[in-house]
Amino acid sequence: MEAAIQSYWPTLVRWSLVGGALGAMMYLLNTGLQRIGVKRDIARGYAFVLPWIFGFLIFSLYPFVYSFYLSFTEYNIFQPPRWIGLDNYVRMFTSDRNFWPSLRLTMLYAFFNVPLGMIGALGVALLLNRNVRAIGFWRTLYYLPAVLPAAAVALLWRWMFSPSSGLINFFLQPFYALFNMQPLAWFTDPNLVLPAYVIMGMWGVFGANAVILLAGLKNIPRALYEAAQIDGAGTWAQFRFVTIPMLSPTLFYTLVTGIIGALQIFTQAFFITTPQRAGQFLNVLIYQEAFAFRHMGYASAMAWFLLAVILALTLLVIRSSALWVYYESEKG
Amino acid sequence: MAATPAVAAEKSMSGARVRTPRMRMRQTLDRILTYALLIFFSLFVLIPFAYMISTSLKTEDQLFIWPIRWIPDPIAWSNYPQAFIELSRIAPNLTFWRILANTLFITLLAMTAELIAVSLVAYGFARFQFPLRNTLFIILLSTMMLPGIVTLIPTFLIWRNLQLINTYDPLVTGIWLGGGAWAVFLLRQFLLTIPRDFEEAAYIDGANVLQVFVIIMLPLIKPALLALAVLIFQGNWNNFMGPLIYLNSVDKFPMVMALKFFQESLSKEAPKWHYMMAMSTVMAAPLLLLYFMAQRYFIEGLTIGGVKG
Repeated sequence: MEAAIQSYWPTLVRWSLVGGALGAMMYLLNTGLQRIGVKRDIARGYAFVLPWIFGFLIFSLYPFVYSFYLSFTEYNIFQPPRWIGLDNYVRMFTSDRNFWPSLRLTMLYAFFNVPLGMIGALGVALLLNRNVRAIGFWRTLYYLPAVLPAAAVALLWRWMFSPSSGLINFFLQPFYALFNMQPLAWFTDPNLVLPAYVIMGMWGVFGANAVILLAGLKNIPRALYEAAQIDGAGTWAQFRFVTIPMLSPTLFYTLVTGIIGALQIFTQAFFITTPQRAGQFLNVLIYQEAFAFRHMGYASAMAWFLLAVILALTLLVIRSSALWVYYESEKG
Repeated sequence: MAATPAVAAEKSMSGARVRTPRMRMRQTLDRILTYALLIFFSLFVLIPFAYMISTSLKTEDQLFIWPIRWIPDPIAWSNYPQAFIELSRIAPNLTFWRILANTLFITLLAMTAELIAVSLVAYGFARFQFPLRNTLFIILLSTMMLPGIVTLIPTFLIWRNLQLINTYDPLVTGIWLGGGAWAVFLLRQFLLTIPRDFEEAAYIDGANVLQVFVIIMLPLIKPALLALAVLIFQGNWNNFMGPLIYLNSVDKFPMVMALKFFQESLSKEAPKWHYMMAMSTVMAAPLLLLYFMAQRYFIEGLTIGGVKG
């Protein structure tokens, strides 16, 4: 126990000091600015957002710029970074045998996981929106998988997908018998790693999104449906011309957060052992280059590539949103 | 066959009277279908859960019995302590209580710092007019798109230069400054829905800005703060990448790292699924408990960003 306390108290002291210092700085900024004649509202505003400004400069902006610089260097931590121009990027696209498979796996995972998760979530949300009794119970139930730690979920699904004695193959047994085929090996078959991940990914995502989409559905004014019914709209027409447009901002939100989340899958891959490098997502590859091989420069280049992919996809979705996302306030 | 047009004609003639039972029938069918689908989907949610708990209570020789036995016989409650005893056999300092203390230390400190920092910042963005406010807020939102892995290496180097690798500082102290952008966003949205009347009345009574914030504002945003607290607790409890990068000594490991350590050292050749599922259940239990207790707020917090944003 003594050893434990030894590792806690220095951190506890530093944690308190940093918190206290931050508070003091906010106080000084507020009074200082007001003393030199800055308007009260302005002084208070800056004082309150001060923690974020520090955080942004130290933990976002500086690392952002510095990792961009590192991506053009060779850096192993022990010697100073050495400028090598575009070499890291060239190596990434041309000679690294791990990069393309990893990128492909990550992109395909997002490509399947995000839309399937959204469709599943929308389906559940629509079901829950049909004046279901004990809605709180169902909502709680569907959200459960999202509460579980990603590590636990990964282990659980690795076990369920176990080829010889897992639950999935147990359920699929009649199916295998019918078609006279070998049981699928899932995570232990390089070709089936992706589908196994997609199925596992659905489990967590659709409950969480369903809850958000359900709240969006509840926000749609009933009067709109009544008006549509008077105009003779059937169930499908109401769904297509009332539900979807009114829900589109929420769908947009889940789509953007879904893409950003899916491309950064990390923890699961550490708990699921797959043959060779079949389950090596981009984030995992970058982690290994950086912290296992100390290729900090090369890892930074790959991280920047991932950033570019995320930015490109997000911008694409935002651009396209003008076509399909309907904002009430814009049109009055 | 010949009767069909006649039946149809009769129906259309007596219109409203015939429709009522038919509609009721349709409604009942509709209900049944809705609940059937709900139950079907919930099986997808519940079966893996049941499998996790069932496995965690099996003896090793029951793991591979075919067909699967859902209720273990005998029920091996001892898996729960045994998993941690096995672990402390190879890492003598890493007892269950130590792991729990480590996890709680990280989670509670990080959560406290983040809640305080985030509520201050959100209040600043929601209530005061200052130059560049909107620009700064857009920058804050755009940091949400920044993948953690991009800033990870320089951030690691910062902590390394401060000689704080293998301490808990990178996981808890930096949080004072690095509060999550999504949390600020969520709380600001919530603050914007609260009228300013209370604050103005307090100012007239001579309260200062800190008093107004602590005495008037915090109680008003309590539901959102509770929701955030649960989400942040969950995020830190589950955080794997942070401890993976910053902690080297085994006895400093939180639960998730202990699980990884177990998998790598004791479960490599012959996976001890019963122990790993027991540890997973232990790791999930506090989260589930917290979720059930705070779920009313939790759902609210979860949806505010997506629906009102």
